[in-house]
This record gives sequence, C-alpha cells and structure tokens, in this order.
Amino acid sequence: MKYLLVMIVGLLLGAVAAGAVLYYNPLTEADGPEPAAADRALHYDLSAQMLGLSLGERALLPSLEQRDTQLWEDTIDRTALMGLVLRDDANQPVAVASRLLVGSASTDLLLHGVLLSDYWLLTFPDEGTLFVRVDTNVWPFLKQALLPVWFFNQPWHGPVEFRPTAGPGAQSTAIVIGASGKFGGVEGSAVERYRVTTLDRASNKAEAVGELHLHFFPPQVAAEQPTPGDG
Amino acid sequence: MRAAFFIAVLLGFSGVLAAAHFAPWMRHARLPSQTEVVATGGRAERFLIRLPVDRIEASGVAASPLRAPPGAPGLALPAELSAKPLLVEHFKVRDAAGNVIGLAARHWTSEGRGAGSAWSVLIPSRGALLLTAPGEGKAALDGALQKVGYHPGSAWSGTTAVPAVNVELTPREGGEVTAGSDEFDKLGGSYKEVWKVTGVSESGELRGTIELDTITRRGS
Repeated sequence: MKYLLVMIVGLLLGAVAAGAVLYYNPLTEADGPEPAAADRALHYDLSAQMLGLSLGERALLPSLEQRDTQLWEDTIDRTALMGLVLRDDANQPVAVASRLLVGSASTDLLLHGVLLSDYWLLTFPDEGTLFVRVDTNVWPFLKQALLPVWFFNQPWHGPVEFRPTAGPGAQSTAIVIGASGKFGGVEGSAVERYRVTTLDRASNKAEAVGELHLHFFPPQVAAEQPTPGDG
Repeated sequence: MRAAFFIAVLLGFSGVLAAAHFAPWMRHARLPSQTEVVATGGRAERFLIRLPVDRIEASGVAASPLRAPPGAPGLALPAELSAKPLLVEHFKVRDAAGNVIGLAARHWTSEGRGAGSAWSVLIPSRGALLLTAPGEGKAALDGALQKVGYHPGSAWSGTTAVPAVNVELTPREGGEVTAGSDEFDKLGGSYKEVWKVTGVSESGELRGTIELDTITRRGS
C-alpha cells in the first residue's frame, strides 16, 4: 500500500514536471519568419474587415462561447471558414480572401506546437487568384493571450504581436501557388504577422489586425540542352 | 522505496512527454472515399454541393445576381470592390453518397486576358485540393436559365420534359487540378464543374446540385 502511494505521488510529480516543460518549451513557442520586403503586402482587420466567419461546432476550445453554426457535421465540426477584405499599404481594399482552417495532423505538443492548416484563396479583382497554403502555429497565441485572459481571467496586457507561420515551405514560410489571371503559373512564399489588440471576455470581444506578405519567385528558365556534338 | 519513487517520477514525466509527441491531437472523422479507378489511369471522385442547403455565403452580385442574390447570406463587400468583376462563394461539400465531408471556396474574377475561376476544397481528414479553370463568362448561369424561360424576380422550375438545366462552367477540356496537400499532395489531373439547376425561387435562391468531377493522377 505504501509503495502504491509512493508510486502514485511519483507519477503525479513526474506528470506535473512534464507539463511545466511543455508549457515553457521554447520549441513550440518559436516565432515564424520575420516578413521581409514583399512583392505584395496585404493588411486585414479582423473586427472591421471580416466579411464572414463560420466556426465549426468543435472548432473552439471548451467553454468558449459558441455561435449558431452551419458547420455541425462530424466531418467538418473542427473547421472554420473566414472571408476577409485585404487592403494595400495605402489602405485601399484590393483583394478578398477565403480562409479554410482546420486543425493539422502535424500538431505535436512537444516539438512543433498546435498547428492549423490554413488555406487562403486570395483574389485580386481584375488581376487573378492565388492559393496560399500555410501551417499556422497557434500555441503562442493560446498560451500568451487566450488561455490566461479567457480561461484564467487575467487582465489583458496587449497588444501582443504574433508571427505564426510555420511552413510548409522553405524557412518555415507559406507556399504561394498562382491559380488564375496574371498569377497563373506563379510560385512564391508568404509570411503572416498579426497583432491582437483587444481581448476581453466580459464583453466577448476580440480584435486583431494582421498582414500577409507575399513574395513571388522569379520565373524558372529551362536550362538549355546541349546539342549532340557540342564541345 | 526511494527507487520506486524515482521510477514513478520518470514514468510520469516520460509518459506525458510521449503523449504530447505521439498522440493524434487533431484527428478528424473520416468517411470512406467514394473513388473509382479510371481505365486510362488515375482516380475519379465526384464532389457534390446541394443548393440551397450547402451554400454558406456568397458575394458578387455584379458578377452574377443569381449566385449571390441580395437576400441570401452574403459577404458585404466594401464599395471599392462591389462593382468589380468578383464572385466569392462558400459551400459545404458532399461526397458522391451525399455525406458532408468538407468545405469549399470558389472565386471568380476576370482580367484583360479573360476570366478565371478557382476552387479551394478542404476535406479535413484528407487535405485540400486547388482546382483552377478558365472562368465562365460573366453571369453565365443567369444567361443559361433565361434561355429556358427564367425571368429575374419570378420563380422558375424545371418541367417534366426538362427537369434541370445543366450548365457546364469548365471548358470542354476541363479544368486543372493544380495543387493539393496531405493525401492530395503532388497530384495532378483535371475536373469538370456542372451546375444542375432544377429551380429558382422568387427571391433568386437556386435549387439544384453542383457536381465537381475530378480525375487525379500522381505527378501529372
């Protein structure tokens, strides 16, 4: 009996220590790449320029307030769908984005954090459409903002900036694929950065502004094939 | 006793870390894929969208009054974009058996060289597909329905002789499976998009089915 008690206390202590390691684990808190000079820098405001938001029944963390949702089926109840207006540096609306979000199977609480697969379909009217494939690490946001303020009623010490892009492209950037119009055949990378400006559970209010920086790769030129007898 | 305590601590510590690393934290419900092998190679799969129940929201009345009717759940575009050639639609997606399996966004726009359309189809348990095609003409669906007697502002239904109007929005050679992720990664192929409209309500709400017939191949 005494052994059993010691074993249980030991297991609990070990589990608590591991929980502390996970909570303060620098591997899962690493910021994404810093946006560099971009071919296109697009800005959004989640409070003012959100066209629409549909959250799956189980897309939110437990006890977060749920909205009436159309996304109730088992197969899509952990997804979210967001429509956004994007503005250029001169604050003019230039594009519309549809973001399809879902929890990623690559989520690894020890090495990578809580990952979302975030698919942007991004259309510039009169120009064309781009597809942006992003792995987004939301663990820093959960840890620094949502959990303390929403679940533990701590005061909000914002604004807080996050760089959540965690791949799947080179140097942890997102992948850009041209879909139509002048972007057809274009490839590139992207990085997102956002700043949570307001988070208040009492008024059920969350506000954030963000940026998506697009960088297009130069077109690949096929290497010239040597002809027989050359050289 | 001391050894047992330290072994238990080690077990608790490593057990939690192992669970953090190996547990499938984001597992999504999956239904059997309704795919068929194509004789010429590849895999055929049909995705369905039932209208109006699967339409989540839409915007772009200037591009197609029927596909983004004023009374339907909509995305309110700012004035600077509302007159532009832009159509944004969000749907639920079903498999060939009619089960909801994912979400999709469809964008349409036109520029100097012509129109272009793109679908982003997300199936949580399988990944995402990007489908692209030269887009249909402006208000193509509206025009096709008006040819069979639909008048804006009034209801229209298919007849026994012509129960539905089939409008193919991809060109004859089909659209292209441009990119994908997870299960759809590194797949290429083609697709056809057909809108089978059986009716339109007075408020402009469409009834019918959108069929996305894809044929995917590895590395094509």
